[in-house]
Amino acid sequence: MTTIDPADTFRQEARDLLDALEQSLLDLERDPSSNELVDSTFRALHTLKGSGAMFGFDEVSDFVHEFETAFDKVRKGKADINPGLVAIALTAKDHIHKLVEQPGVHAAKGQPILEALRKIVESGGSQTAPARALEASTTLPPQPALATWRIIFRLPSDALAFGTNPLLLLDELRELGPCTVTALTDRLPPLENMEPTQSYLGWEVILSSDGGREKVEDVFMFIRDGMELLIEPVASQAQAAPATTSAPALQGAHEAKQPERAETSKEPVATTHDRAGTSLRVAAERLDELMDRVGELVIAQSRLSQIAGASGDINLKAVAEELQRLASGLRDTTMSIRMVPIGSLFGRFRRMVYDLSRDLGKEVEFVTTGEETELDKTVVEKLADPLVHIIRNSVDHGLETAAERTGKGKPGPGTVRLSAVHAGAEVAISITDDGRGLDAQRIRAKAEENGLLSPDAKITEPELYQFLFHPGFSTAREVTALSGRGVGMDVVKRTIEGLRGNIDITTTPGKGTTVTLRLPLTLAIIEGMLVRVGNGRYTIPLSAVEECVELPRDVEQRASGRHFLNIRGTLVPFLSLRELFKVKTPPELYQKVVIVSSGETRVGLVVDQILGNNQTVIKSLSKLHSDIEGLSGATILGDGTVALILDVGQLVGFGQAFEERLRNGRAA
Amino acid sequence: MSKTILTIDDSPSIRQMVSLTLSAAGYNVLEASDGADGYNKAIGTRVDAVLTDLNMPGMNGLDFIRKYRAHPSSAGVPIVFLTTESDDALKQEAKAAGATGWIVKPFKQDQLIAIVKKVAGQ
Amino acid sequence: MKTNGTMKALSIGLQGEIFAIDAQSVREILDLVPITEVPNAQPFASGLINVRGRVVPLADLRVMFGMERPEPDHDTRIVVLEIAIGGEPAIAGILADKVYDVADLELASVEEAPKIGMRWRADYVRGIGKRGDDFIIIPNMDRIFSTEGVDGRPEERHAA
Repeated sequence: MTTIDPADTFRQEARDLLDALEQSLLDLERDPSSNELVDSTFRALHTLKGSGAMFGFDEVSDFVHEFETAFDKVRKGKADINPGLVAIALTAKDHIHKLVEQPGVHAAKGQPILEALRKIVESGGSQTAPARALEASTTLPPQPALATWRIIFRLPSDALAFGTNPLLLLDELRELGPCTVTALTDRLPPLENMEPTQSYLGWEVILSSDGGREKVEDVFMFIRDGMELLIEPVASQAQAAPATTSAPALQGAHEAKQPERAETSKEPVATTHDRAGTSLRVAAERLDELMDRVGELVIAQSRLSQIAGASGDINLKAVAEELQRLASGLRDTTMSIRMVPIGSLFGRFRRMVYDLSRDLGKEVEFVTTGEETELDKTVVEKLADPLVHIIRNSVDHGLETAAERTGKGKPGPGTVRLSAVHAGAEVAISITDDGRGLDAQRIRAKAEENGLLSPDAKITEPELYQFLFHPGFSTAREVTALSGRGVGMDVVKRTIEGLRGNIDITTTPGKGTTVTLRLPLTLAIIEGMLVRVGNGRYTIPLSAVEECVELPRDVEQRASGRHFLNIRGTLVPFLSLRELFKVKTPPELYQKVVIVSSGETRVGLVVDQILGNNQTVIKSLSKLHSDIEGLSGATILGDGTVALILDVGQLVGFGQAFEERLRNGRAA
Repeated sequence: MSKTILTIDDSPSIRQMVSLTLSAAGYNVLEASDGADGYNKAIGTRVDAVLTDLNMPGMNGLDFIRKYRAHPSSAGVPIVFLTTESDDALKQEAKAAGATGWIVKPFKQDQLIAIVKKVAGQ
Repeated sequence: MKTNGTMKALSIGLQGEIFAIDAQSVREILDLVPITEVPNAQPFASGLINVRGRVVPLADLRVMFGMERPEPDHDTRIVVLEIAIGGEPAIAGILADKVYDVADLELASVEEAPKIGMRWRADYVRGIGKRGDDFIIIPNMDRIFSTEGVDGRPEERHAA
């Protein structure tokens, strides 16, 4: 069993707490009156302080303590939340983060932050002295000499029910020294009146101990209030006479302090970061291994199914079918383990936009939807940088300054909207801003200037915007510290394509720009529809398939130029894969069309034959084949041969481009 | 037979520390990350003591104590809550709700063992 | 190229010529397996095969050396190699009309390809050595499998 360093567990927990703290602070800026948010902020700080001290992170604990003290004023209503407080609180949070990761290095830098925090929060009242969590202070000096004590005690009436075990108390006394114990039965009621959970017995204990009075008192520390307790020294070491029934002076009853009724008006906490059930942290490598094993299992099971299908053995077929069901279930479960909500990224962006808007002096509304949309873990991690880049671009170049905006009649704060949504086999992530939009002419000019486009070439707008992804291409008028160097977008595109996704830009000049990323849901195993085109077999991701129809013979025979199908009243463009793949063998008499979709767009893929469904383990293509259009990967079929996986996104794009050209051609 | 201690805390590091410390001391440890789960475990199994944080989201420690004490199986089971020194009023409230004892945060491992031994024996 | 020592070379036959493949890079030698044709792929690497559960591209060196490419026969083998594709380590298979043997090749005996008069692209040939009485060609696998042209831009893969 691997030994886990508790410090690591604390660090991980601290990171989670700090993330939650950041979100709470950002939420507080929008909603300063929310007691709930103040409470959750306070709770996070409290836990950080406590756990920090437990695991040796003293600087963290000390710093958080001061932070907590300042925030306590807010909690008690003695200070208000304002943007200044949130700003300094966020800086303090950053500092705590540094202290957690590298204790000792940054301690000194904490002071100015605390100073600023105190200043903002101080409302004239003197600061309460920090209440350090110390061990119970000792009042009496320990008495080293051996002494004899008479201890008489009776428990509070609810003590037994509330878990106090008098036998254990007696054991503890015995540990201090030799004891003589006598039970006091004078208060026992008649049997029929006895309540089993009530304590009717008392005890008298004569103890010889050198531990001192305090140690004796400590034994009863939990039940001091409400109990009857007498501790008196006995003059000689000889055992005192057995207790009389006379009631000794009782201390207990009068010592009970009146419990102050604490505020019970705490609002029920319904945080959006609810912990649902128990969860587990698993090293990512283990998940990857698991995925590999499941992948191999799927291939083997696929081959077994083929063999079973070909054999006549009923039992074999039954088992193969069962295995298929099990492998399918296992695959689904494993895939879902790897899925994490994209919201974990969104939180990070909130902070970035907050900082950006302050740095650039632009007010920005950052709206997110679809936080719960789940993606494969590795995809989410790889998306972080591209999304940061795109959001930065939006804020830096897309959004105009407040003055410009009001001049145009737009609301002062610019809006950046980040959304994620499932669409069939894909996740669509879009970043929309309501800024100035893209200038098609400037982009065109730049493209021609860079020799990427000839002046008389006709291209569609979406194709034009793709130039923005060329390395070094930037139409930004100035290079700011953040963006404009043209270094980023090509990397963004490459990263997205590396995830087998694609990226598109649409814009309305003056109104805004939208960047849309489309990513496949899974990286490794998908359900596929197997088709035949000529002698080759190809797999289409099943979740992209909408329906299959037969290609009407008259449509096929018409002159080229009529590549549309009428599907229940809508025209859907179709692509002949035979043409695309330059297949020379004679075509099937009745060809089939598989209608696939990517986002809102559909295209029909004409194939010779539909062979059925299979589970496909996706293998990537080497560099020799990765550039080929229309293909996104390969897979091994049940009979051991290789089949290619069609890139639905690209093919849909062809269909769309074809459609547009046709339209432009007609309009011309 | 070893005694079973249930620890309820939303902090994974504290749960881990309690679990490791008490297991090493010969106790059997159950963990719960919130009051509701803790309650289910407490009434569902035989526990010899419960350690609970007070400051938790969802069902907090006080509510847990009250709810658990309302259930007959809690009779005689010691409940120890975690508190910081300054929370005196809270201590009183917890005791009134049915807590048996407390442990002051931050605590060291031997303090934890001592208190568990005190309320639950060994 | 290295001029001292020996290289353990696997000799394969392609249309009457003998080529030397560094034996260290050879993972296995397979009999002919079903080849999946990749549509619109460059003729040099137009196929994919299944090697123990891995999808491996199949290359035909005969394309690079401008040779005839008859259909495979019972002598045809596939040599699975570790090579660099586009600068990154990868696995690929190459077709061989015949596979001979593994023997030591004295590097000292290897000469540079003649600058003129050779019917193949000079940058595809590392050197020419001797195997018994025959000449043996040592191909420059990195260059052949490189996905870039000499000026750094991607180029069509073809001979001469």
